[in-house]
Amino acid sequence: MALTPEATVGRAPAVTPRRAPLSRRLAPYAGFSPAVVLFGGFFLAPLALIVLYSFWEVINYNVVHNWTLDNYHYFFSTPTYVKTLWDTIWVAAVTTALTLLAAFPLAYWLARYVRPAIRRPLLVLIIVPFWTSYLLRVTSWTTILGQKGVLNRFLELIGVIHQPLSFLLYDRPAVIVVLIYLYFPFAALTLYASLERFDWMQMRAAMDLGAPPRAAITRVLLPQIRPGITVSVIFVFIPVLGEYLTPQLVGGTRGVMIGNLIVNFFQGAEYTRGAAISLLIAAMIVVLLVVFRKQLDVADTYGR
Amino acid sequence: MAGEAADHVAPHKHLARGALVAWAVFIYFFLFAPIILLVLFSFNANQYGTLPITGWTLHWYHAAFNDFQIQDALKTTLSVALEVTIIATVVGTAAAFPLVRANLPFRSGIRAALTLPIMLPGLLIGVSLLTFFTGVLHLTLSNQTVVIGQAVYVTPFVILVVASRLEGFDRSLERAAADLGANSYQRLRHVVLPLIGPAIFAGALFAFTLSLDEFVITLFLIGGGNTLPIYIYTQVKFGITPEVNALATLLIAASLTITAAAFVVPGALRRVRRGRRISARPATGA
Amino acid sequence: MSINGPVTRRQALRAGALGVTGLYVAACGSSSTTQSGGASSAASSGSSAKASTAPVTLNWETWNDHYLTQQIAAVKKATGIAARPSLESDDSDGYLKVKQTGGQYDIVSTDALWAPKFFKDGLTEPFDIASIPVSSQLYSIAKEVPFWKAGGGYLVYPNGWSSVNIYYNPKFVSPAPTSWEVLTEPKYAGKVVAENQPTDLMAMAGLATGAKEPYGMTTAEISKAQQFLQAAKPAFLKLVSQNSDSVRALADGSAWMALENLGTDFRVKAAGGPTVKEATPKEGVVGWIDGEQMVKASSHKDRFTQFLNGMEQANWVAQNFLVNGRPLFNEKAYKILVNQGYKERADLLWYNQPDKALQMTLKGPSGNVQAYIDAFNSVFGA
Repeated sequence: MALTPEATVGRAPAVTPRRAPLSRRLAPYAGFSPAVVLFGGFFLAPLALIVLYSFWEVINYNVVHNWTLDNYHYFFSTPTYVKTLWDTIWVAAVTTALTLLAAFPLAYWLARYVRPAIRRPLLVLIIVPFWTSYLLRVTSWTTILGQKGVLNRFLELIGVIHQPLSFLLYDRPAVIVVLIYLYFPFAALTLYASLERFDWMQMRAAMDLGAPPRAAITRVLLPQIRPGITVSVIFVFIPVLGEYLTPQLVGGTRGVMIGNLIVNFFQGAEYTRGAAISLLIAAMIVVLLVVFRKQLDVADTYGR
Repeated sequence: MAGEAADHVAPHKHLARGALVAWAVFIYFFLFAPIILLVLFSFNANQYGTLPITGWTLHWYHAAFNDFQIQDALKTTLSVALEVTIIATVVGTAAAFPLVRANLPFRSGIRAALTLPIMLPGLLIGVSLLTFFTGVLHLTLSNQTVVIGQAVYVTPFVILVVASRLEGFDRSLERAAADLGANSYQRLRHVVLPLIGPAIFAGALFAFTLSLDEFVITLFLIGGGNTLPIYIYTQVKFGITPEVNALATLLIAASLTITAAAFVVPGALRRVRRGRRISARPATGA
Repeated sequence: MSINGPVTRRQALRAGALGVTGLYVAACGSSSTTQSGGASSAASSGSSAKASTAPVTLNWETWNDHYLTQQIAAVKKATGIAARPSLESDDSDGYLKVKQTGGQYDIVSTDALWAPKFFKDGLTEPFDIASIPVSSQLYSIAKEVPFWKAGGGYLVYPNGWSSVNIYYNPKFVSPAPTSWEVLTEPKYAGKVVAENQPTDLMAMAGLATGAKEPYGMTTAEISKAQQFLQAAKPAFLKLVSQNSDSVRALADGSAWMALENLGTDFRVKAAGGPTVKEATPKEGVVGWIDGEQMVKASSHKDRFTQFLNGMEQANWVAQNFLVNGRPLFNEKAYKILVNQGYKERADLLWYNQPDKALQMTLKGPSGNVQAYIDAFNSVFGA
């Protein structure tokens, strides 16, 4: 009998296949088992513990299993804490905006005007600072921004000021500047990746059709790299929300962020209060990740 | 094709391009100035580590090398980094295979979940593990708790690197090997692993560097010990002495060297192997 | 493609991964005890404190002014004991670290009334102070502090003491401060630094608002103290972890006032800074007497006395005084300082009047820890 399509379609197989044993069906996933142990036991379980802790309380340095919403209530009823939360979101938003504004021209220049040959080393140069210790990069700024720091001395030297500027350090502007410095490579490289795939001929086409350069950018370029912009925003905004070291080293009392508050609670044995705030931040981040999951998947994280 | 034909908006365009170049120069200066200053001050004879630079000296490097607290912190840092690298590389490579090759029901969800330790603030990993270890497991904090904490943070990076390589892996090579009679172990050992070897190696080096520099998670989980970043952080509270700058410079140099090795070494190894294979081939006279 | 292929490869991977995990867990379980740098901690089994010079590392939770780097190096050379200092910001920080890490720390420094709390909560052990030869160099009053006696022994090897005053730069701060209220003056906004010690800052605020017992305030008093801190908050540029940070802030001009220990004026001068003066607010100041405690869960308790015997020698203490400025309890060191020509400075800082130490409002854990920390946190946000 010829194996024509009509002959083969609809024919039941000669033997009913037995379901493969469980071990064989699970075998392809075996590689996950160590990861399940590591992440299940030491990432998810502790986070679950934090969730639980946020609903219990601490009495005399010990955690007591009384179910209560007091931790959350305490947080939201203390004006300073709520202000710190808003300040953190504000700092994250400003940092993200400024970082993208700073990174976009660079990425644009690299993608459009730089020869491919020298593009690669320039890109590597952007990321080189990222390979050094995060702590060192933050501390290096304390010598720059201080009262007797490099920046003040330089400004005095060229005669712009006569007294050192004291607001440069231990205040919110210092925190924002340092954060921009830290997260710039993320934004720049993500924007570059997006701009590199853009077809620049479209810009020429738009201008040939009479559009001024600015309109060509806003109406042709930007809409197409919007996924890239979204990813950059995510890659900067989310980590900044959880920042702790930068505000601690350069923020003083006025640059406090929610991360410092969490650490303060945990180091002061107020585990349950710290857990409640941690949960708030984690929830915010997870929500953002879920809302923007499509854009994050499109990003070249897995090489596709 | 560059597409910049002479057109009527030339002067305007030159201005724009000039501005972009100027901005790029400023950005690169902004990115490197703090690090260069950090390195510069490590040679500063001025003991307060700030301007003016009163002289050039290697004294602080000498002091750093002889400081036994630094030696002690270095030992801890290296041993922790080694353990973390082994764990992250093994766990990460193993996890990359099913991530890429198995028929996963919620592939993007699992991928997102595996990158969650990177996206959540390190602070959260630190405090959650702290409470988990002390409150539930009643373990005392030690270097081992640090290793676990760092491994949780570092492993997703290894997964990313290896999975990325696996995605682009040409399965037909495996099929060819199977057709030639290789069983799955042989395929793994002689086809897959050698070819993704460079990626695993890069992932391992990446893990090592991440562990060397890791600070926030370590701060919560280390107990009485010291790693180099913790030591530097402690010294920063004293004020950044040039000795700390010297240590910082050495740390920067180490990180950069190791990362550079991740790029250079696999290529070099490949060339060596190819050379050996060629010279091992009997001369065919062509 | 054969169906056996993926299975056996996965199994190989799985076996390898599980094997490594197993090895790791086993290693993890066995090494979660204390860590020590030296290999031969087992050798230090001699009963006499001076018996062994086997290398060992002691983890020491302390403040930066309890040691000098060269001092630690010298002690290591002489006794084989390497100290690994870990800096605490305040007593409750040290207390919690010891509580959380079990036997990780061998020695923990603390102030005054915290020592009884450490002992009561089973974290430290008393020792026989008379059995430490170097203790003969101490002022006798330091060995008779009533709340440091417990369990048939002594809880703390005394180090030094100080009051916490207002140091100010007269060039910018005038008139000289006479009251804690100076912190609420708008013209000094952002010009004050203090150590990040929530309980003690609350106690100072308590003094400022007339609390009867600054470390045992009632709820109403706590509330008043909190309001004072809220009014004073704009004054604080930053809350530092170690006193050297305050010194630097005064030295480079970013701060005009600091709430700091005795001797800060000398240290600021030594750091190349301007002349600062000391002011004692009329409402009173808190003070501390501190020293070293032996952690109960430590596995190197037998080296504790040997270590102290090396560290607390008068010549080192004298040097420490010259660097850090506040008075210390080592009487022999005073004599050394006098011989070296520093009598005036030592007397200025009340070095030879240790009885003053016990007359201050001494630091200690507050009656209601949570309330103090809550009040502080809700003012400073972190």
